Amino acid sequence: MTGVDVESRSPAIPNPADPVLTATGITVRFGGLTALSDVGLEVPPGTIVGLVGPNGAGKSTLFAVLSGLLRPAAGRVFLHGDDVTSASAQARARNGLARTFQQPELFMGLTVREHVVLAHRVRFSRQRLWRDMVDPRSILPPSKEENDRVDGLLELLDLTHVARASVGALPLGTSRLVEIARALATRPDVVLLDEPLSGLDMRESENLASVFQRVVASDDRRVSLLMVEHDVATVLSLSSRIFVLDFGELIASGTPAEIRSNAAVRAAYLGDEDSTSTADSTAVPQ
Amino acid sequence: MLQYVIAGLVLGGIYAIASAGLVITYVSSGILNFSFGALAYFVARFYYYLHTQQNWGIPYAAIVAILIAGPALGVFLYFMLFRFLRLSSPLVKVVATLGLLVAIPALSTLIFGNEAISSAPGLAPEPVRVFNFIGVAVTLDQVIVYASVVATVVLGSAILRYTDVGLKVRALVDSPAMTALSGTSSSAVSIGVWAVSTFFAGLAGVLAAPIIGLDPNNFTLLIAAAFAAVIAAKFRSLPIAVTVGLAMGVVTSLIQRYLPSSSNWTTEVVDAVPFMFIAVFLIYNLLRRNMDGDADRVGGALDRAITPQGANRLAGSAESALDRGSLGLIGKFGGPALLMILAAFLPILVQGFWVGLMAQAFAYGIIFLSFTLVTGEGGMIWLCQITFAGVGALTASQLATNHGWPILAAIVVGGLVALPMGLIIGFLTIRLGDLYVALVTLTFGLLMENLVFTQGIFTNLGLGVNVARPSFAVTDHAFAYVCLIAFAIVALFVLNLRRSTTGLALNAVRWSPPGARTLGISVVQMKIIVAGLGALVAGIGGGFLVVAQTSAQPANFATFLGVVWLAALVTVGVRSNTAALIGGLSFTMLPALALAYLPSWTGQLPAILFGAGAIAVARFPDGSLAQGGEAFRARLLRVANRRAPGPESGTPLAGPGELALNGPMAARSAPVVEEVPS
Repeated sequence: MTGVDVESRSPAIPNPADPVLTATGITVRFGGLTALSDVGLEVPPGTIVGLVGPNGAGKSTLFAVLSGLLRPAAGRVFLHGDDVTSASAQARARNGLARTFQQPELFMGLTVREHVVLAHRVRFSRQRLWRDMVDPRSILPPSKEENDRVDGLLELLDLTHVARASVGALPLGTSRLVEIARALATRPDVVLLDEPLSGLDMRESENLASVFQRVVASDDRRVSLLMVEHDVATVLSLSSRIFVLDFGELIASGTPAEIRSNAAVRAAYLGDEDSTSTADSTAVPQ
Repeated sequence: MLQYVIAGLVLGGIYAIASAGLVITYVSSGILNFSFGALAYFVARFYYYLHTQQNWGIPYAAIVAILIAGPALGVFLYFMLFRFLRLSSPLVKVVATLGLLVAIPALSTLIFGNEAISSAPGLAPEPVRVFNFIGVAVTLDQVIVYASVVATVVLGSAILRYTDVGLKVRALVDSPAMTALSGTSSSAVSIGVWAVSTFFAGLAGVLAAPIIGLDPNNFTLLIAAAFAAVIAAKFRSLPIAVTVGLAMGVVTSLIQRYLPSSSNWTTEVVDAVPFMFIAVFLIYNLLRRNMDGDADRVGGALDRAITPQGANRLAGSAESALDRGSLGLIGKFGGPALLMILAAFLPILVQGFWVGLMAQAFAYGIIFLSFTLVTGEGGMIWLCQITFAGVGALTASQLATNHGWPILAAIVVGGLVALPMGLIIGFLTIRLGDLYVALVTLTFGLLMENLVFTQGIFTNLGLGVNVARPSFAVTDHAFAYVCLIAFAIVALFVLNLRRSTTGLALNAVRWSPPGARTLGISVVQMKIIVAGLGALVAGIGGGFLVVAQTSAQPANFATFLGVVWLAALVTVGVRSNTAALIGGLSFTMLPALALAYLPSWTGQLPAILFGAGAIAVARFPDGSLAQGGEAFRARLLRVANRRAPGPESGTPLAGPGELALNGPMAARSAPVVEEVPS
């Protein structure tokens, strides 16, 4: 790992096998409360990685650290092998990290399509953030490449029929899809998904899970997804690797099969006594 | 020395009582009541009416005015306004109380008349008894102030700390929702708190009247000074607020002792002392990083969870957003184009005096576009836009009149002088909560007004600086069209900005800073852009205004007059260029029409109307007229959709409202996300 500032990162060709996102020894304290203690994880390229744990385990806090919204008391975060621990959230976003939120953080004055357009331009024609203000050409129709990309994402997430609607009127499930479309429009290398399935019905959840698999499988840039989700069964079925947090500590990591059989995970979800008595049962969804 | 301390304790005592009232309402409702001074004036004026004009005895007049009318006014305002603000954003709360600040003095004038009262009696019988205290003369009025402060501190602290009522108030502070769930009526507690708060306002007003006379502007400035104590107390600590209030009074008095009494500069400095206190406390909090929105956060997790995301954000409310793509060119630009055509005909249709007003109205429209940028697009309440307009106006007048610059070039340079001020304030206030931003900009405006705008080079012995119009537009008609063209250019710029990628990014920053940051947008850059542009546009508009008026008078750029400007614009709509033009026309023409054609009492109606419009943001965050217009356009759109043969690909199957009805969980009920501290 190197300590290069992400702003000046040289476009070195990464090793395809290197993790796209790595966290080591992350510790976060809020006053006297230790929310995270020496937590580490890795997200390989082109994979879906799950992050699970009971309420209050520290999952959202870890997401805040990884995305740059919260500075850890100790530990390092690496993006493409570069140390981004002190980099801002927007600097990380510009270098391929996108995220969604547990409660969608949408821009209420914009339409669904405008969300995706803005994300696309922030990533691919950043100078327009400044230039368009005084450039009359900004009123011209967008480029074909932008339209194709935006339309493709709206179609992928089944948002075409609400593309021109204001997000202020959307149901929660659709709002989550907008956030995901917005995140994908930045053409990220890794997306942090904070409970993306919550608020969706069974059919919508299945569709979105299928979208995640397609995104990871079809994208030639090998985008990775790190997903916090309470629906453990879905996480087990989607993820190639899973990390389990409990009371701010990493208690297990491994493949879905390893997590299913892990006694510490069972204890975290059912309590010590229950886990002892049901050691061979289906405490963690099979 | 002792006489200065004793005299200072009187002023400090009034600060202390006012700050106690402000703190109590803030901790229980999250509302920093900018209208406190206006309420104090109203009760003081009522007391004067009863005691002096109706010859009531002091005890009866005091009981009716302070103990009955004051609290009753608080209860009335709670039912009519404050109860609707409980879950509103800080921006809406600020604007609503600013609306009261504008409306109440005008209402007082309407009720009690516009008699100028420079000397008003206090609570002591006249002639006022004078005591000798260690060789220093102390009047009975002063003794009553001291006793009121002691009673406020002792009774207030005892009630809050030791009584069941105090426990309920403190519970309400922590979480109104949890208080309600535990069986306590939060409404009943709130009613009591507002009654107590307006009682304090009335008491402070009656006590202050003998010192500052019965002038609503003096009351507003007095209470604005009390904000210093409230800021020092971080809006929450009653003992600190009272102590700092007393200390401010003493320090202000002592400063007078050491400055030359015959100098104008002394007057300017003494007037500015309370605002220097505010600046010191704000800078202290800024350095200690105590202002990152903490003051905006009232209530507990449950209260935040039940607050609709952005439903009460000023400007750009979710429900007002239309399916803009399907409006078509006429739907989108037909109204504004029609208004511009009408505006172009207005100077032809009217004559004489009214043509000159037209030029001023268009200049005001330019200034109001600066509010459209900063508040409408940037989502920030800046109370110093009038100061930027003043900076632009005074700079342009100096350059043109005293240095022979062409006036249009001088106007542009005036805007450019205001620009860096906007950038600096924007940079300093980026990480502050909405309430602190309002206070910082208010303080900047008051300091500029007292320390800079009062310089002789600008006031010119009260005559102001004459400004000549450009040679090609000397007449009112011609200059009205110059102003209208300038308005159109700035409006097109704002329109382009709003529709551009920059506008989308500004929208993102306004609605969700965490969402914007994790998308790769710099919140700092976007806010600085809009702050600088806002100052530039205000400065240019100020330049055009003084040329339209042919004289640059610093008094026309008093900070609290800017509040009336904001109220006038908010009434129409703060996100619309059209609204800026209508705001400019209504701000200029309505008072003149009332004076010219209606009974004299109607002269107060425009201020009451603007104040009511600002108060109405609690219900219509985009402005009453703007939201009415949007609703009308939405209705037209629905009618048009019904007549259409069927939805095409890419066309929404339903309007936003219908989507909300169909969805299992509308976004209006989505909880607000608390930003993770960074």
